[in-house]
Amino acid sequence: MNLQEQPAGGWPYAPGGGDGATFQKLLLDHALLRGARPAFREKKRGIWHTTSWSDLADEASALAAGLAARGLKRGASIAFVADNRPRLYATMSAAHMLGAVAVPLHQDAAPEELAAAIRRVGVTHVFAEDQEQVDKLLQVLPGCPALTTIVYDDDRGMRHYRQPELVSYDTLLRQGRELAAGRREILLAEAAQGQPDDPAFLFFTSGTTGPAKGVVLTHAALIKRARAAATAEGLGEADVTMAYLPPGWIGQNLFSYVQPMVVGYCVCCPESSETMLADMREIGPTYLLAPPRVLEALLTQVTLRIEDAGAFNRSLYRLCMGAGRRARASGAGSAGDRVLTLFGEPLIYGPLRDVLGMSRIRVAYAAGDAADPDLVGFFRALGVNLKPLYGSTETGFFVATQREGDFRHGTVGRAVEGVEIALSPEREVLVRSAGLFREYHDDAEATERSRAGDGWVRTGDAGHLDEDGHLRIVDRLEHVGALADGTPFAPRLIENKLRVSPYIREAAVFGDGREATCALIDIDPVAVGRWADKRSVTYTGHADLASRDEVYGLVADCIAQVNAGLAADPLLAGAQVRRFIVLPAELSADEGLLTRTGKLKRSAAAQRFAPAVQALYAGEGQTPDGLKIRDAKTFAPTVAPRRAGRSA
Amino acid sequence: MNMTMPIQTPQRAFAVGAPILELDSISLRFGGVKALTNISFNVLEHEIRAIIGPNGAGKSSMLNVINGVYVPQEGSIRFQGERLAAMTPTRAARMGIARTFQNIALFRGMSVLDNIMAGRTLHMHANFLEVAFRLPRARREETEAREKAEEIIEFLEIEHIRKTPVARLPYGLKKRVELGRALAAEPRILLLDEPMAGMNVEEKQDMCRFIIDVNDHYGTTIVLIEHDMGVVMDLSDRVVVLDYGKKIGDGTPAEVRANQDVINAYLGVAH
Amino acid sequence: MEDFRFFIEVLVGGLLSGLMYSLVALGFVLIYKASGVFNFAQGSMVFLAVLSFVGFMELGLPFWAALPVTIGMMVLVGMATERLVLRPLVGQSDTTLLMATIGLAFIIEGVAQIAWGVDVRRLDLGIHDEPIMWLADNFEILISQLDIAAGIVAGLMVVALALLFSRTKVGRGLRAVADDPAAALSIGIPLSHIWMLVWATAGVVALVAGMLWGARSGVQFALVLVALKALPVLIIGGFTSVPGVIVAGLIVGATEKVAEVYIGPYFGGGIEGWAPYMLAVLFLLVRPEGLFGEKIIRRV
Repeated sequence: MNLQEQPAGGWPYAPGGGDGATFQKLLLDHALLRGARPAFREKKRGIWHTTSWSDLADEASALAAGLAARGLKRGASIAFVADNRPRLYATMSAAHMLGAVAVPLHQDAAPEELAAAIRRVGVTHVFAEDQEQVDKLLQVLPGCPALTTIVYDDDRGMRHYRQPELVSYDTLLRQGRELAAGRREILLAEAAQGQPDDPAFLFFTSGTTGPAKGVVLTHAALIKRARAAATAEGLGEADVTMAYLPPGWIGQNLFSYVQPMVVGYCVCCPESSETMLADMREIGPTYLLAPPRVLEALLTQVTLRIEDAGAFNRSLYRLCMGAGRRARASGAGSAGDRVLTLFGEPLIYGPLRDVLGMSRIRVAYAAGDAADPDLVGFFRALGVNLKPLYGSTETGFFVATQREGDFRHGTVGRAVEGVEIALSPEREVLVRSAGLFREYHDDAEATERSRAGDGWVRTGDAGHLDEDGHLRIVDRLEHVGALADGTPFAPRLIENKLRVSPYIREAAVFGDGREATCALIDIDPVAVGRWADKRSVTYTGHADLASRDEVYGLVADCIAQVNAGLAADPLLAGAQVRRFIVLPAELSADEGLLTRTGKLKRSAAAQRFAPAVQALYAGEGQTPDGLKIRDAKTFAPTVAPRRAGRSA
Repeated sequence: MNMTMPIQTPQRAFAVGAPILELDSISLRFGGVKALTNISFNVLEHEIRAIIGPNGAGKSSMLNVINGVYVPQEGSIRFQGERLAAMTPTRAARMGIARTFQNIALFRGMSVLDNIMAGRTLHMHANFLEVAFRLPRARREETEAREKAEEIIEFLEIEHIRKTPVARLPYGLKKRVELGRALAAEPRILLLDEPMAGMNVEEKQDMCRFIIDVNDHYGTTIVLIEHDMGVVMDLSDRVVVLDYGKKIGDGTPAEVRANQDVINAYLGVAH
Repeated sequence: MEDFRFFIEVLVGGLLSGLMYSLVALGFVLIYKASGVFNFAQGSMVFLAVLSFVGFMELGLPFWAALPVTIGMMVLVGMATERLVLRPLVGQSDTTLLMATIGLAFIIEGVAQIAWGVDVRRLDLGIHDEPIMWLADNFEILISQLDIAAGIVAGLMVVALALLFSRTKVGRGLRAVADDPAAALSIGIPLSHIWMLVWATAGVVALVAGMLWGARSGVQFALVLVALKALPVLIIGGFTSVPGVIVAGLIVGATEKVAEVYIGPYFGGGIEGWAPYMLAVLFLLVRPEGLFGEKIIRRV
């Protein structure tokens, strides 16, 4: 059906968005206003394929007809367990046309996790990527009576599946096109029925601090937040972004569904996660979302490559990066630094931006977790406009960020237009805006607990606000504590600093109520492996590598560097890492030590490694299961107390 | 994982059919050494057929006979009911028999994509002059070859190394690329010479999945040699067991496992 | 300004003759790529090709008839070499193959001189070794028409062959055969076809190179030595890379001419002869696989 034509009876609503906007209306707007422009680009079999806005609207309408025929009702829930593909987002649009709620889930979730989510929300339909996801769903199907339909995208290996619940995307689309033909008005009317205050998404929170909760967000809340952020950054239809993060996470959905629906920019889907960097180089996105974890991995890659380079290149790199950091990130650059950055541009910054696929970036956000200022500083030194973005699922994600020309090192910036930020007496960050979540699904008690009255929502984060309204996040409130001598202790802050080192993949720091800070270190197997190869250190596997004295030495050096940085900050000098263990295996989400988005679950780690932690505080030597314990080098505080007013 | 799915589902995408390859009383000698003695078995269309046996049992010789590298002194080979006199590797390739090698035989200096496209040679008919002057047929065939190669690259999940010279790849991926090159020929029969040799557990699982997927998706008949008995039993429809160049067992994995001769032959082999 | 014009003249002259080195080197690369043989007889083939061409013209064939006849003859010579010399030696060591091509070189040189005699002949391609007037009038730069024409022909030929051998199935077949003959057979690449094709192409390349060199410096036995000029080109460019041969040819040509003119006087001239080899030795020290050669990768 042709959506670029006016329907006979006129549009059932006024095009152009406005306050009555819902995702389905926005999609129809785009089909009308910029039908030929690209909505998605997807690399498949080595070639980029484009889906225009009118293609997308057309496909979504057909899918809506197909899904309606298969019983997807207004207010019902449809779960997504799939890759970042145009088909995922077309199905999401179709669900919204019918007034259903999208429930994005993580693809690496175990069958029981999927089943728990499906049962709790009463999901009736699922969009699954491939055989792997279908197998998991079929396994738990008997325990999910409400689940009636599983749509799968990739039909590989699916030929002999005969379950009545299954339908392939292609079949659904074909049936939908037959059904939709001649019933366009009905579909448009259906789309027009949706109200801005209807729930649009239900996200499961990453749950660093407890079981996952289902966060319900309405069309209006998400659209308003996305619009405010887009206006602040001047996003337009010519912008391009990459979709490469787990679609089960709100951040990815905001960048590849919510915000493109508001702005009309183009989303590019890489061929596979392994080809991401190469595909990004080909596309040259102008707008990017990257969690600190991804940025750390990029920094690690660059660091390793530089270490392989010749001595001249290495020192040139150090010189230029130092100047870049001072001139572009921390705002402490001298005139000499600025001159150096001029030379660094063609020699170091430009080529590196190209390698990282960041040469066309106008705005990039570090979001999803607190990013260490040094990490952000690296990219800013390269001339990439990377800014920390603060927000959570409950607060509509776009809460605070740096404004253009008002970058302040170490903070997450000021509140985005339409958001108010305040601190509770306990220094908890409170947020009030039109973009807040509606409720925790089926958990009135938790919803009630999250409200601070008068429209304020508790974020659970501890922070500082300076006199200009710049927000600085310390850690989760419940993790903030103090060492036995009263030194304030925020583990995440230190862990972030440790993770900036290319050799440290993850770290868990302990110290609340103790006499000193101690750390469990999870090494980056690739980086440390290469380091070991270059020094002819032989090892048989991860555990062996992690136990080598040479590796302990390497980690000790990394920690010493972090300690030196901490010593320069009077607030943190007392919290230097005193002692550490290198863990023999990678921390993983499957063991429940990380969330599905890769954040550390501290309490789970503390429980799991309790004997090791106890041994750490007992002194140097060994843990009960034979892990070596080593002391780290610490430093005397190096700088006079901070100027008054910088920290609240 | 697919590994947990039963392979022998009644609704198999391509039902096992009539014999496509029949070997009758094959004997092969090198000088005075008997490599194979009076071996007969058949391969049914669309099945996964394994040849197993301890080291030196004659498995590779058997594969090389099918592939035309060795010409047996006695016995005959029938392909789709037609008796074949002298097989050569080129004839075998023309008839739709593709293979991989025990010690990876990729084109080292070429990229993954070029290796796989080279596997399309027999589907490209333009002659030297057509190619040299880029005449329409040569151009069309080149495009088709690229499309087919990309399909295989997607199938084997090796998009990220498409432009990488194969010499730089780790072992497990090389094996996968070699499978891809064989698949590019769209073979009727695929001969795999110890596809899982030297792999770690994870790589073995991946390879098993790809072998099953190839059989399921393209309906390719697969003959594979394997030393590792466990892997074979999960994978194959039927198994031939060789020992010292003689056939000592033939049947479904369950039958073979219960065969006393097979048990004896394998008990002597350390695993 | 005068100096600058002179420099340009020298440089352009060097680059153009460099392209002709590339052409000779290309013959080596083709055969080396496909069969791993360093074909010592390439220089002799150049000599035989152009001598036969001139010979056919002396017998009364017009230019446009002598050309296809000679091409046909060189294709036959190439195919015969593959069939009679190399195929029987399949599987022998590289040294054996090298010795075989050395022997082949003597045979070809002998046969050529028996058939056509030993006189030095002139080859007239209808392009004169005179400056291009337009350049001379407008820029006061003297560049020979013959050099330009030869450079263009050599350049086109090298580029065309580079594309053919990198972008098409012929090229893939060639590299496949070179890398692993058994695997190539198993996917249906006809080994003998590829080898014959390569030898025939090498024969044609030899003819073109011979004609260009013959037109400049006469058709004579010394043409065999042109092959020596190709050696530094091969070392610098890499034995297996067609693009490498182009770049290295240009480098060698430019280096030797510029060195001869600007550094030569300090050594009493003659630097042209050995400067390229100095360059080649430097490359061997720094980058033994050549500019574009396949990097020697060893995985542990």
